[in-house]
Amino acid sequence: MYEVRFHGRGGQGAVMAAQALASAAFQEGNYAVAFPYFGAERRGAPVMAFTRVDKDKIFSKTLIYEPDYIVVLDDKLCGLVDVSDGLKDSGMAIINSAEKPEDIKLGKAVKCATVDATTVALETLGQPITNSAILGAFAKATGLVSIDSVVEGIMDIFGNRIGERLATKNANAAKAAYEVTQVGTCQGGFECEKADKWLPGYDELPLGLATRPMETPEGLVGPGSFVDNKTGSWKTFAPIYDPDKCIMCRMCWFYCPDGAIKEVGEGDAKTLEFHHEYCKGCGICANECPKDAIKMER
Amino acid sequence: MVKRVVTGNYAAAFAAMLAKVDVIAAYPITPQTFIVEHLSEFVNDGLLDSAFMRCESEHSAMSACVAASATGVRTYTATASQGLALMHEVLFIAGSAHLPVVMPVVNRTVAGPIGIWAEHNDTMPQRDCGWMQVYVEDNQEVMDMTIQAFKIAEDKRVLLPIMVCLDAFILSHTVEPVDFPEQDKVDKFLPPYRPDHAVLDPKDPMIIGSFSPPEYIQEVRYQTDETMRNALEVVEEVNAEWAKEFGRDYGGLIEEYKTDGADAILITLGTVTSTARDIVDEYRAAGKKVGLVKLRFFRPYPTEAIRKVASKCKAIGVYDRAVSFSAGGPSWIEARNALYGYTIPVINVLAGLGGRDVTEPDIRLMFDKVLEAAEKGEAENEIVWIGTRGVKP
Repeated sequence: MYEVRFHGRGGQGAVMAAQALASAAFQEGNYAVAFPYFGAERRGAPVMAFTRVDKDKIFSKTLIYEPDYIVVLDDKLCGLVDVSDGLKDSGMAIINSAEKPEDIKLGKAVKCATVDATTVALETLGQPITNSAILGAFAKATGLVSIDSVVEGIMDIFGNRIGERLATKNANAAKAAYEVTQVGTCQGGFECEKADKWLPGYDELPLGLATRPMETPEGLVGPGSFVDNKTGSWKTFAPIYDPDKCIMCRMCWFYCPDGAIKEVGEGDAKTLEFHHEYCKGCGICANECPKDAIKMER
Repeated sequence: MVKRVVTGNYAAAFAAMLAKVDVIAAYPITPQTFIVEHLSEFVNDGLLDSAFMRCESEHSAMSACVAASATGVRTYTATASQGLALMHEVLFIAGSAHLPVVMPVVNRTVAGPIGIWAEHNDTMPQRDCGWMQVYVEDNQEVMDMTIQAFKIAEDKRVLLPIMVCLDAFILSHTVEPVDFPEQDKVDKFLPPYRPDHAVLDPKDPMIIGSFSPPEYIQEVRYQTDETMRNALEVVEEVNAEWAKEFGRDYGGLIEEYKTDGADAILITLGTVTSTARDIVDEYRAAGKKVGLVKLRFFRPYPTEAIRKVASKCKAIGVYDRAVSFSAGGPSWIEARNALYGYTIPVINVLAGLGGRDVTEPDIRLMFDKVLEAAEKGEAENEIVWIGTRGVKP
């Protein structure tokens, strides 16, 4: 049996990648299971998905704590989430990154493969959705499934969800990524800055979880605690603001779902400030702007 | 036979198509939404000739199912959590009118606080509304039991609605290989629904659910009780027929796994059963005498089967993914009721509430507690909370 943990963000398709890998392994005569673990259901939020593959029927219905492989769909997650947590020493990390495996820093030095899946995806799909490309890298790096089976798995899982035409494009992304995957060893010893989770005993938990703003050793919880949650790393594209074109209609401010746009200055000097540490790069501001004063750039 | 890697939700939807349901009335709710979404696609693509009603709430969806089923057609819906809670008052109508609606319920925690993950506190409180409940363990069983559910529910000795209960995400959003039964074999196994007890037809008038003074309702309750008891036998018959035709035997009301020679037996329901099988294998290999009973039907409750299990072991543990506050887990309460007069310890293990992962160490601890009770002939604590911060298990 081998176990794979996928790290991605809501909307990047980690779940479909895990399912397509299961389907690919199944095409080769294995038993395979894939399942998600959702946190809060938000586009851009870190998510995990899992695949288990074995020759015989798999009974375990638990999450995977000691994976043989980790697959990271977005290398910026490596600084936010301890992606190599529990990864077996004999394991391997497959990472979407423009860097060489030797330049990747994880919690432990392990076999590592990198592929610039974002560029591959933009070239083959026109969108920075890397779930299919990364499977090509998995096939190349591990040799556990053939690229032909990965293509079949993508056609099966993606085909059912988004139709044959788009599934074919995704299969092509996997094939393209397969060709440009680099395999090596990453650096270890990187300590992820992620804060510990606030996990009090039942007798310290506010009754019914009705929570006032509260300082805890793990950080602020309750109303306003979002200030600690720097969601800006979730984005692929960032808004670039041109104050000369801006007529201060504030449509961007009104529509921004994250309150990441702030009005600053007085009188004629009034302008807008974009808080990139919270902006998730959804692009709604650029879409709403009537004067093209906001451009989304990678 | 075609085998595909699909989610539990897909299996539940596909099974409804194989059963050729006439009416689907539903309202979406996470994590069930994909079931009715897949069905809407099957209908749209011309694969399934069924009336698909998108309702404005679960209360309306169940009301529509009651009305549709009362015209004598095969009726299906699906829900979860708050959706099931909103259906509550209408569930009684379906049960008392003997309308064999089939409804997968994707077990999800009922707020508050709001959560979307697996807990059985949505279906357990519905035990008294005249619906059967079967809990399943994997996606193959989702497929197979959804089809069997129609046959059990529509049996003339039963005629009761049924919930097929599957754990949120752990099955609903998990893909695994599933055998797809062939249509012609399903047709042979499950003939069309042709009732005569409840058929609204202007040419042959009938009143269903009319105002009924005390002279009548007590007998109506007895009818429901009797037909629910009849279902005990029908479940076993349908399981045997399924095993013969499709090669998969689920054991009927319960399934026993390595219970022969076991001192300590754990009774589980839902997906925890599946992981527990691995732990039983591990413990047996280490010489520990443990066994597993998968409680499949919670209604009708298999009292006799549970008594037979108790008569061959020294202690029983009952796993619950829900709690009746101050009284223990619902499945344990039922087991203790069935085992009144038995002297062996029967303890309750609670874990996985709100969708918390029930890990292998959690399940080992469950077996350890039952083994300890078997050895001592008594248990220190009757109700054990496992994996609760601040609470000693």
